Amino acid sequence: MIEVKGLSKAFGEKEVLKNISAKFEAGVTSLIIGASGSGKSTLARCLVGLIDPDEGEVLYDGRDFVHMTTKQRKTVRKEIGFLFQGSALFDYLTVRENVRFPLDILTDMTAKEKEMRVDTVLERVELTDAHALYPSELSGGMKKRVGIARAISPKPKYLFCDEPNSGLDPQTSIVIDALIQEITKENEMTTLVITHDMNSVIEIGEYIMFIHVGEKWWEGTNEEIMKTDNQEILDFVNASGMMTRKR
Amino acid sequence: MAPFLFHLGKYFILMWRAFSRPEKFSIYRRRLLDEMVSLGLDSLGIIMVISVFMGAVITIQTAANIDSAFIPTYTIGFTTRQSTILEFSPTIMALILAGKIGSNIASEIGLMRVTEQIDALEIMGVNSSAYLILPKIVAAVLISPFLVIISMFVSIGGGYMIAMFTDIVSVANYEYGIQLDFRMYHVVYALSKSAVFAFIFTSVPSYHGYFASGGALEVGKASTRGVVQSSIIILVVNYFITQIFLI
Repeated sequence: MIEVKGLSKAFGEKEVLKNISAKFEAGVTSLIIGASGSGKSTLARCLVGLIDPDEGEVLYDGRDFVHMTTKQRKTVRKEIGFLFQGSALFDYLTVRENVRFPLDILTDMTAKEKEMRVDTVLERVELTDAHALYPSELSGGMKKRVGIARAISPKPKYLFCDEPNSGLDPQTSIVIDALIQEITKENEMTTLVITHDMNSVIEIGEYIMFIHVGEKWWEGTNEEIMKTDNQEILDFVNASGMMTRKR
Repeated sequence: MAPFLFHLGKYFILMWRAFSRPEKFSIYRRRLLDEMVSLGLDSLGIIMVISVFMGAVITIQTAANIDSAFIPTYTIGFTTRQSTILEFSPTIMALILAGKIGSNIASEIGLMRVTEQIDALEIMGVNSSAYLILPKIVAAVLISPFLVIISMFVSIGGGYMIAMFTDIVSVANYEYGIQLDFRMYHVVYALSKSAVFAFIFTSVPSYHGYFASGGALEVGKASTRGVVQSSIIILVVNYFITQIFLI
């Protein structure tokens, strides 16, 4: 479980996050949604320590990440998998080497164990045939799947996905969403998805947190979001034609 | 003055991080070998082409500028050797490599920054500066003296070709000149200098690439800054090294 308490962050005069508190449970796919520039990605970056918040706590199963030493943070980071918006695959490594990279760096597994784990993970994301390709040879959807494979290869306890559907066609988006949710259940991971894709909200949003100009505006499930009267959420949700039809 | 000190401080902090203890030596060993191939062996062709013409031109220029009958023609060989060993091979090669390798390093690391590959390393608990920068610096510092030795031989060989195929100087006089008053200290001085230059033309572009932000345009600018600044620093440091160790 990841617990956030009173998290605030400002860049100069501009307050990007204002006193955010939330709980993200293990085995649940949690979504952080909001308009562009609302502070979603900054929140994710604060949670994993890429940006230090000005105030507040981030507790990974009770461990205060914000106030840890660099060495202590490394221990927690080994338990985190992160899928970046642009996949952030290493250009100079093949798919297999990308997926094996965290195992080489973070684990003491033998070469045989690593190869077995890579095979298992690539099979899980259905990319066994693409193991020898370089990132430049992959489609957008394949890159995302390799990104997921790399993120989950060291069996993380926490998985962060930053805009996993950006740049993907609707069908591929559904596949990626389903994959994230299935992996979350299979491995009992604490999964946080940062998105503004309303299809993801409906399909996999077991817990949804809506951020508006840096503040937590609303939280609930995908069923509850359909019935809310909150105007900001209604404006955000209704901007998607598909959601208007569903409602 | 303040921005200069700011960047100088930031550069030294980055170097401090880059030279901190690696997470896993096996990973760094592999990276070091890859970098030695990419920075060293891949530069061999350009080094040889430039060196052979450099030696030939030094020989012709020296001959053209010796008018007095009191100056023996073996001076041409002597001057070619001294110019090559003391200045042309270590310094001109460093400037060439600053352009070739420096721009490559800055754009490679810069692109990794803007495509979030460096963030991916950090989230995995990898010291990204050490992982990306240290192998490049160590590889260049180790391989650069060998490139300079090759450059010295090829450059003097270029002059030898002039002696063989023209009437500017006889082969016997050229051979006598290149052996006259040879001091091993000059070679040691040149190789030491080349190692210092290698540190500069890898670390300065690494700094600019590592802190690049934005998109392709900014990465291009970072690459240009890296090459220009490392070239200027090489020339300034060359002056001080010459003043201290040769006079």
